[in-house]
Amino acid sequence: MLNRKSIIGSLMVLAMAGTATARAEETLRFATWDTDESLAIQQEIAKKFEEKHPGVKVQVEPYADGYDQKLIAAFGAGNPPDVMYMWNFPQYYTSLKPLDDLIAKDAAELKPDDFPQGLMNTVRVEGKTYGMPSGFTTQVVFYNKDMFAKAGVEEPKDGWTWDDLRAKAAKFRDEPNKVYGFAVDAKPDPYDFEQFLWSNGTKYISDDGKKIDGYMNSDAAAQVLDMFADMAKKQEAITLNLGDDTSGSTLFKGGKIAMFQSAMWSKSGIDASGIKYGVAPLPKFGDKTAHSALGVSAISIAKDAAHPDLAWEFVKFFSSPEAVAMRVNDLPVRTSVAEEKGMTKDPIYKPFFDILATSNTETHAFLKNANWGKVQDNLARAIEATMIDQGNAKQHLDDAVNRSKRLIK
Amino acid sequence: MDMTYAGAESKVARRKRSAIARYAAPYLFISPWILGFLFFTLGPLVFSLTMSFYDWPVVGERTFVGLENYRSMLFEDPQFWESLWITVKFAAIYVPFNIVMSFLLALMLHHITFASGFFRTAFYLPSVISGVALVTIWSWIYSREYGLLNFMLSFVGIDGPNWLGDPNLAIVAIIIASLWGLGGTMLILLTGLKAIPKELYEAATVSGVPGWAQMVFITLPMLGPMLLFTFITSIISAFQQLTIALLLTKGGPLGSTYFFAMYIYDNAFKYFDMGYAAAGSWVMFIIVLLLSLGVMRWSAAWVYYEGEVRENDGDRNA
Repeated sequence: MLNRKSIIGSLMVLAMAGTATARAEETLRFATWDTDESLAIQQEIAKKFEEKHPGVKVQVEPYADGYDQKLIAAFGAGNPPDVMYMWNFPQYYTSLKPLDDLIAKDAAELKPDDFPQGLMNTVRVEGKTYGMPSGFTTQVVFYNKDMFAKAGVEEPKDGWTWDDLRAKAAKFRDEPNKVYGFAVDAKPDPYDFEQFLWSNGTKYISDDGKKIDGYMNSDAAAQVLDMFADMAKKQEAITLNLGDDTSGSTLFKGGKIAMFQSAMWSKSGIDASGIKYGVAPLPKFGDKTAHSALGVSAISIAKDAAHPDLAWEFVKFFSSPEAVAMRVNDLPVRTSVAEEKGMTKDPIYKPFFDILATSNTETHAFLKNANWGKVQDNLARAIEATMIDQGNAKQHLDDAVNRSKRLIK
Repeated sequence: MDMTYAGAESKVARRKRSAIARYAAPYLFISPWILGFLFFTLGPLVFSLTMSFYDWPVVGERTFVGLENYRSMLFEDPQFWESLWITVKFAAIYVPFNIVMSFLLALMLHHITFASGFFRTAFYLPSVISGVALVTIWSWIYSREYGLLNFMLSFVGIDGPNWLGDPNLAIVAIIIASLWGLGGTMLILLTGLKAIPKELYEAATVSGVPGWAQMVFITLPMLGPMLLFTFITSIISAFQQLTIALLLTKGGPLGSTYFFAMYIYDNAFKYFDMGYAAAGSWVMFIIVLLLSLGVMRWSAAWVYYEGEVRENDGDRNA
């Protein structure tokens, strides 16, 4: 008979060995929504961090699509990752660790002044900082140089207006071949869309987050929306997302539209398509200043992180010039890195940075009111209705405001 | 004598033991179901009912609000009534179509003698396709510029509409896509048709009853319980319509396909307002329950169960 004692003994040895290795190696959980090449970059950064901290293992958890569902489920179950990508601060901030004291403590090393103010605004709720920006993008207009040359249209310049854009777009209209000058999204992300209201001197919601009437449905807001609807009506632009999921970038890469408003996330695909393109800043409304929405990926620490100190070390490294420079799929959040890479002078990248300076004056609506998510859906419907209707923006926006009133208190 | 006594005692003990075994054994055998029911049905049911009385964000404080979720849903939230109305409209068209078409298909397959196995499989197959794959197929079919449907229409000189982009057509598109799954209903009705005794038809034929009358007086009554079953399950599945709308139209355009299930889904997984979503599910449960009860009640008028004796039947026999 196999000795029972010996079995128990070896099991105990195994168990002890297990705890021993667990102690030697600390595992830091890091959740991200990135996929593909962007994910590979995160894994690279995590590997660098492991090299600098022997005995630490960073477990990169790519939640991809449905990031929020998975993350919120992890929080709900009381088992959140230590460090995670974050954008929806109003939703999560009560479960995140405020970083102000840590930032102040390590200011010499972190150099917080190197981060543009506009980006820091997106990681703050009620005056407290709940994350560090790690990558960002502003919005620009990509244009097809070959199409412009062939049609004999002058390329866009700094300081151009929407009237200029419309005049140029009209010259590309070629119905039989389904070629257009521009594309208007019937279902834009309201988050990004607010840039047009800012640029036209209004916003979705008052700064105290308590009033939408007279903001979301102001004449300036309706004017913006009617302009886009009119572009579609006059066929200066093709309408995207009306029951069809052909994307603007697909049309642009295929030479079907001459100008395409988008952000950094479209750039690598356009590069790969091999077309000759230029980048122009967002047009202005008349002589008003153009603003851009800020798409910011930030990184945060869970309030109940299993390894809070290590998590902060990781956030610090993630924000270091070294790690920021490794992120080539979005724009560097450190001014010094952007300058060092020559991006602020490069004609392709320059428009992305130029508009950043004017985009720190406004705060996105969702940071002002906890119920914004529901309000936003009513707004999205008003935008879509205006596109289908090809006008009547005021009426649709009034409707959205009325439907949302109970949510804004 | 001692031995006999001892023997008697053990016999009693044995009988006792076997009685326990006799009563316990069946429960033991069905215990997997009982446990499953407790943990996966009754538990969540009670849990969600509790949830519906709370302001229950996934992250942050939970507060008891009593009937507040129900009150604001019924009296303040236009989205609730709109999504419910869309669902009712959908059900009103989908349910009859689903049953009539399944019935006609079943009838056809019942009478087909040539390659019947092949046809049965062919008609049943689409209902096996998973929701996501189904939607992907339909989004190709409905695509305005490159879609199969508009391509076909172009042959007969029709400039196809924007199926998923038009608020009036999108719901029609969803009904058609939903009917794709009628193979399941068809199979149930086909089974029912096969179970009707041939003697009834033979007797009728001998008596010179015409075909249409055989349909009305034999087939339909004999199929009653099956029709009732498919009627109720169709109503339930119509109210639970989510996948196709969520993936094909995302509730649009202009919320024209924003079904009630999607409203619940959004409250739960988009706004993370779990209490409100739970209240929505209970409202749906009550609506479906009432509808089902109503149909059951009404069915007494037209569903005949074999072997059932009715009061007025007695008179006729007397």
